[in-house]
Amino acid sequence: MTVLTALAAAEPYVPRDNPIADFSDTPWWLSLVKALLIFVYLLLSTLLVIWFERRVIGRMQQRPGPNRTGPFGLLQTLADGVKLALKEDLTPKNADKVVFILAPAFFGAMAFVSFGIIPLGPEVSLFGHRTPLQLTDVPVSVLLMLAVAGVGAYGVVLAGWSSGSTYPLLGGLRSSAQIVSYEIAMGLSLVAVFLYSGSMSTSQIVANQRDIWHIIPLVVSFVIYVITMVGETNRLPFDLAEGEGELTGGFHTEYSSLKFAMFFLAEYVNMFTVAALATTVFLGGWQAPPGIAAINDGMFNEGWWGLLWFTIKLWMFMFFFVWLRGALPRTRYDQFMHFGWKFLIPVTIVWVVAIAFLQAANNGFLGDRAVNIFGAERRLASLIVIGVLALLVLAATWIWEGRQVKRAEARAVVVPPEIDPFAGGYPVPPLPGQRLRESAGESQADSSKAVIHG
Amino acid sequence: MTGTAEAVTFWILGSLSVLSALGLLFARKAVHAALGVAFTMAILGIFYIGQGAPFLGVVQMFVYSGAVMMLFLFVVMLIGVDSSDSLVETLKGQRWLTLLLSLGLGALLIGMIGRITVTGTPNLNAINASPGNISAMAEVIFGKYVWVFEITSALLITAALGAMVLAHRERMGEKPNQREWARRRFQRGEFVSGLPAPGVYARHNAVDTPALLPDGTPTELSVSRTLQARDQVARPGLFSAAEHDPHQEIEEGSAR
Amino acid sequence: MTTLLPTAFTVAEINYWAILPVLIVFGGALIGVLVDAFAPRSSRHSIQVALALLTIAASFGALVWKAVDNKGATLDGAMIIDGPALFMQGSVLLLSFLSVLLMAEKFSSAGADAFTPMGAAVPGSPLEAAATRAGWGTSEVFPLALFSVAGMMIFPAAGDLLVMFVALEVLSLPLYLLTGLARRRRLLSQEAALKYFLLGSFSSAFFLFGSALLFGYAGSVKFSALSQAITTAPADVEGLLLPGVLLVLVGLLFKVGAVPFHQWTPDVYQGAPSPITGFMAACTKLAAFGAILRLAYTGIDADRWDWRMGVAAIAALTMIVGSVLSVTQTDIKRLLAYSSVAHAGFILVGVLAFDATGVSGVMFYVLAYGLATIAAFGIVALVREGSAEASHIAQWSGLGKRHPVVAGIFALLLLTFAGIPLTSGFTAKFAAFAPAIAHGGTTLAVLVVIGVLCSLVTAFVYVRVIVLMYFSEAQGEVRALNPSVLTTVGLAVAVILTVALGVFPAPVLDLANQASQFIR
Repeated sequence: MTVLTALAAAEPYVPRDNPIADFSDTPWWLSLVKALLIFVYLLLSTLLVIWFERRVIGRMQQRPGPNRTGPFGLLQTLADGVKLALKEDLTPKNADKVVFILAPAFFGAMAFVSFGIIPLGPEVSLFGHRTPLQLTDVPVSVLLMLAVAGVGAYGVVLAGWSSGSTYPLLGGLRSSAQIVSYEIAMGLSLVAVFLYSGSMSTSQIVANQRDIWHIIPLVVSFVIYVITMVGETNRLPFDLAEGEGELTGGFHTEYSSLKFAMFFLAEYVNMFTVAALATTVFLGGWQAPPGIAAINDGMFNEGWWGLLWFTIKLWMFMFFFVWLRGALPRTRYDQFMHFGWKFLIPVTIVWVVAIAFLQAANNGFLGDRAVNIFGAERRLASLIVIGVLALLVLAATWIWEGRQVKRAEARAVVVPPEIDPFAGGYPVPPLPGQRLRESAGESQADSSKAVIHG
Repeated sequence: MTGTAEAVTFWILGSLSVLSALGLLFARKAVHAALGVAFTMAILGIFYIGQGAPFLGVVQMFVYSGAVMMLFLFVVMLIGVDSSDSLVETLKGQRWLTLLLSLGLGALLIGMIGRITVTGTPNLNAINASPGNISAMAEVIFGKYVWVFEITSALLITAALGAMVLAHRERMGEKPNQREWARRRFQRGEFVSGLPAPGVYARHNAVDTPALLPDGTPTELSVSRTLQARDQVARPGLFSAAEHDPHQEIEEGSAR
Repeated sequence: MTTLLPTAFTVAEINYWAILPVLIVFGGALIGVLVDAFAPRSSRHSIQVALALLTIAASFGALVWKAVDNKGATLDGAMIIDGPALFMQGSVLLLSFLSVLLMAEKFSSAGADAFTPMGAAVPGSPLEAAATRAGWGTSEVFPLALFSVAGMMIFPAAGDLLVMFVALEVLSLPLYLLTGLARRRRLLSQEAALKYFLLGSFSSAFFLFGSALLFGYAGSVKFSALSQAITTAPADVEGLLLPGVLLVLVGLLFKVGAVPFHQWTPDVYQGAPSPITGFMAACTKLAAFGAILRLAYTGIDADRWDWRMGVAAIAALTMIVGSVLSVTQTDIKRLLAYSSVAHAGFILVGVLAFDATGVSGVMFYVLAYGLATIAAFGIVALVREGSAEASHIAQWSGLGKRHPVVAGIFALLLLTFAGIPLTSGFTAKFAAFAPAIAHGGTTLAVLVVIGVLCSLVTAFVYVRVIVLMYFSEAQGEVRALNPSVLTTVGLAVAVILTVALGVFPAPVLDLANQASQFIR
């Protein structure tokens, strides 16, 4: 309920389309420098996260993980990378050569593009200029990121198709179907953010979270975003595109050497991108956590400190990715699609409609009578909307639970507690919960009807 | 009239988009044609952004290149359309007639439209500064174009309904499950224990190799009907022949 | 705490009474979609038919009860509810009501007889056969038809090019689908649907391109602004006007099937299920002529000396090609298709009169033609050999002896098409041609002469069919099925109205005259 009352805070309407980040003191060469820095940041992070992933999973599986190359095995990824680059570069005979070469390059390039709109920190001094720690920001930043992700799917499809072989084709189709369908739910979950913050510009969205991070009022969006971001990046438990059991390696089965490295790199960079967006959109971006932010008049919210908070939040998501991979098995393809289309998308649509109503009430479109609750002015319309929503959620859960109970009852199979193993003329072993007649005489007392849910 | 940067962008991207649009017409492979379209759409998006309509531009890329053309590509790949399928001309001389008429129309349009002059540099800068590109767009959509916006939904519903009517094959009755299949097999008394599995030999392990019956003859029942129709069934004789002369294979392998 | 709306935002004023008829049809269509999703299969057909009929009747009620008193532009000029718009909307509703009655015909099967039991099944596949045996039906046709009707109601009332374009799509898309759902001769039906779809989207592209040029010319998509711009004649963008007008007209003339944009007509008329053909022929033509009138009279009228000759040439071509090619047809549906092409030409002559009497003439013509057409295709659906429609003309020989009533009605309709005096066809032709002669000068006088000559040619074709029905020996097992109450009512109303419009045309002509003033 606190979540919902937080939503009811009334605010006047101010158009917030345009970015709040100020790039007026940013010469073109500084933008190039920033682009280069982001590139290096991502490359280093990728090197690190592969080692991190192997170590963490090693821990989860009670083995050490890579620990020989360099201190704590830190250079293992570098060594693997060099090895990968020196391997023979194979091109299948059936491949469509041009597309086969272009696909990984395109996929790799697209992976890096999106990070340009992520604000890594507030304004800092860089080479004598005051400039935001962000490559650029436009009024449609977040949409741009979704667009890049959608276009990036071409890399996957084309890689699968151009290999001229069956497994990659199927893998490519699967993974692009996955990306396209999960992007719908992802986009819709972000729509709620746009509605709530009134902007699609990343710097505006971060600025809007000064008082309260969006994860609290928009928790449903957050959960859905996190689920879909795993689907977007083809990570376990949703890594069906390269399900080894059925598709050997998925779309990059036929790739080797540097081209394969490109896919490998791009997939990790994609993870960083979606995680960075989650950080920006739901976890307050570069802003310090609530307690720390209050210290010394917001000292930790200034300058380069932002990069630290941002990186910490980013790596929390990376750990989450790794954790998922270590803990969960792969889902089945039809279940995955069913989940995406028949659960995530409808839920998100309902959620977006709810948020739209709330925002309309907050902005006074549904009448502007105010009441005083807990010492704060609240719009009556907002409270009514919240009440109706709460009632609807209650009703929905009630109906759903009733159905679950009924379904469970229907599925419950009554198994007689004891059977005659020779009833049909052949010896039949007992099912779980059943007892054979021979032993019946001794434990007659506690034999009640056993019900097995199956 | 326009800035240098804008002119350079226009001439480079414009030529690229025309080339890729021509690719749609002349590409040999259907996938290449689809890629040409996707690329053209993406460049259009960039043009929109350049003209001060970032929302439109990004949505153009997102929706057309990212989603619509992706679905096209899907279908093209799944069905395996090839240009060789559609090279038969049923109407003679229609190509030339088409070319003539299109050129005529093009010349007419260029002749007429080329006469116009645009004064000033119309742009969206003022609107983009306040209230902002997206707000301004929303105000127009929900203001004076609200009726168009609303009746477009009828179009989308019709399209969805049409897709269901034309493409959704409802299952008539239950799909047979494993138990049902087993029951049917027993009823027929044929292949009671299922069809034979494809051949697994010491030197080869693939679904295109038929299993051998006890007398050494291959059985077609063990290979998928699709492979048979495509004539892609391997002859087990190949492997038995190789078995008799292993040295040759070793030599071949080392020469490779 | 006050409501803080952005300052620049202006809400479009909506007169809900004026657009209520359209909203009712949209609502009915949406409910129809839900019915299809949730109602049990056995009762879907009857629910859908009842819903569609009720929706159309309610919409008609709203039209005559409220919309007539709420004339004027609404929705910031996006919809203009004036005399012609109301007349066209009312006519569309009347004609679509009759069409739905015919579409609902079941004969012996469980679903609507004209439509395939399962559109997605491969023609001739076991699945299709199983669906037929199980008595499945495509009840989606009713909501689809309602969507189309809504589009047809917006089309002649559109106040700007954008609304007109979307209305064009809203009315066309369901028709493309409905064309591909015939129960018999599935492949022909699917081919027709694809042809219609491809050519239709092509012509829509023309319309859109033209609209873009006109937008560049006038700086607005509104017809009033366009008309205004033409009178002030901005010199620097003048080159956009004529190409824009021509391309937009191409898009509209495609819908009425004017030569040379008529190629789809015979194939689609033949492939589509007969009730749909009737619906399409009557209502689309009506709505499209409404839109052409709106564009020609309120949008680009000031520029008419530039494009009038072009359209006149198209009208002449349409009449000649339509009537000459109808002579060679051997399939009854193709024959009616070519006759519809010829009729489009006759109506275009009336459009070119540029006078209020021309408007009323055109409106009367499309209504009269629509009634006769729906009835004609209703009859075509009845005449069968085996279970398939006896569409070859030779199969109709001797029908007059076996089924005098059916053949009699069909003969009457053919005479109406031919424009024999005392039928509605004659009155309609007179109503369309008279203003053309009165206000059109030499060009239109020539057109009228061509029109009369072409009428004679088509009359020859129709009379040949009548002769065949009455004075040849019957062959084969051709018979007319016994229609159900719905079809009987539909046919009866259409035929009675056709006769009435021929014998006592005055009330409807008066109504059309009263409703012939456009609001700009």
